[in-house]
Amino acid sequence: MNTTQTGNIKIRVTNLTFSYKGRRILDGINENFEEFAVTAIIGPSGVGKSTFLMTLNRLWENIPEAQMSGKVEIRFNGGLRDIYERSFSSSRLRKLVGTVFQKPNPLPMSIFRNVAFPLKLSGEKDKGLIAQKVEGALRKAYLWDEVKDRLAQSALALSGGQQQRLCIARSLILEPEVLLLDEPTSSLDEKAAEVIEDLILHLKERITILAVSHYLDQVKRIADRVVQVDLWQVRK
Amino acid sequence: MKGYVEKLVIGFSWFSMMTLLFAVASIIGYLCLKGYSSLDVRLIFGDTSALDALLLRKQVFNGLFPAMAGTLVLVVMSVVWAIPVGIATGIYLAEYANARIKGVFNLFFDVLAGIPSIVIGLFGFALAVFLHKHFSRTIQPCLLLSSVALAFLVLPYLIRTTQMALEGLPESTRFGALALGATKLQNIYYVLLPKSLSGIMSGVILAIGRCAEDTAVIMLTGVVASAGVPRSLLSSYEALPFYIYYISSQYTGPEELLTGYAASIILLIICIVLFSAAFLIKKRLTYIAFYRT
Repeated sequence: MNTTQTGNIKIRVTNLTFSYKGRRILDGINENFEEFAVTAIIGPSGVGKSTFLMTLNRLWENIPEAQMSGKVEIRFNGGLRDIYERSFSSSRLRKLVGTVFQKPNPLPMSIFRNVAFPLKLSGEKDKGLIAQKVEGALRKAYLWDEVKDRLAQSALALSGGQQQRLCIARSLILEPEVLLLDEPTSSLDEKAAEVIEDLILHLKERITILAVSHYLDQVKRIADRVVQVDLWQVRK
Repeated sequence: MKGYVEKLVIGFSWFSMMTLLFAVASIIGYLCLKGYSSLDVRLIFGDTSALDALLLRKQVFNGLFPAMAGTLVLVVMSVVWAIPVGIATGIYLAEYANARIKGVFNLFFDVLAGIPSIVIGLFGFALAVFLHKHFSRTIQPCLLLSSVALAFLVLPYLIRTTQMALEGLPESTRFGALALGATKLQNIYYVLLPKSLSGIMSGVILAIGRCAEDTAVIMLTGVVASAGVPRSLLSSYEALPFYIYYISSQYTGPEELLTGYAASIILLIICIVLFSAAFLIKKRLTYIAFYRT
């Protein structure tokens, strides 16, 4: 594989094979991802870019007729850990590995409740702490100044770009160590996309980011490293 | 050629819709026209004063009030039995069952949906006889038994609409909360169920209508022509659809037949009231699920 890596390995994928309804989508993939870097995952439609992300947060387990084999390890607290280990629950994993989807998916509730939703899922009751964390997450996602006066309004009234940053803030509130972005700007206009690109570059100081992208110029701007999924298939 | 066929299809669809509208309008219009004249306070409360009847201080002997109360209690009870079971089963089928179990259960519930109500009534009656013989002499066809039998009658609707509503949710909705660390149960409770409330509601409304209308089941499980306002779950009771049924088959004069129409209007009004209540509850639940802070 890529032997020029210098930093710490955050994610190690070994011999990963994935099939859906008996059709093989990913075949024997070996790949490492560095800590605190943005890795862009590119390739033509339908080669399994999004599927690959789903093997890192175990979301595929909710898809009937999907099958996976191989090993995925992520470094948490210093040591690489097999994320498919029995004792590692998928909900715990997903608090450490955040995901932002192609289309912004805020819930039909207020801005504040949207961002605080993951804390509610974790059973956090301390209202002061929740308010503080919501503000922190919104600031990190460059959204605080735009929404601070209307936190109680419905999140669905925000623009597409704002909604997507809201979703990023919602993922950030749990302080994940890895952030998976599945074409985060493809449903946005150029200006909104720019803000999000800027945000990604800022976030990588603390978070390891894997981003699926279609746009080569975007990839050039944000990525430290580029992985081409269709070449994986050839390399097997 | 293609344009011609398309026009034909659109024309037929339009015609079908108009037929349906006409049918609904003419049924309700006919009812109102016929029943309007005999619809008054005397019809409902008879010779008893309305206040005394509503406060249950005096029994109404020659009015529809006991039948109205019976129908209202019966429908509410049946739906209260059926909703938790139906929704839970729907959740199980949509979210937990594997393909094989799903296939088997779907077949079962389709069969249950296809059972004529008179057969369910017969089953309820047989159950009453069994309980009477083997457990207690005091058990007889009664309000409780009717409501349970009716609950079985409407269960398939609730199961199917819940299942359909959940299965119809797009993957983006499904994965949103999961990606934020929600467990399967949290996802169902916080996102999937609130998002399917509208779909589930249509099942509940169907169920209410079916419970209010059914005569066959209650005829065999406890309804009688004269019982007064229901006093206990284990007593027999009166109900509007049964009143309409026996008035229309045993009326002694045109006047009496007209009260059947009036009773039908009252039954419709009770349904509308229950539908509105169901709708308000749904709105309130959605609000609580998503907007309460």
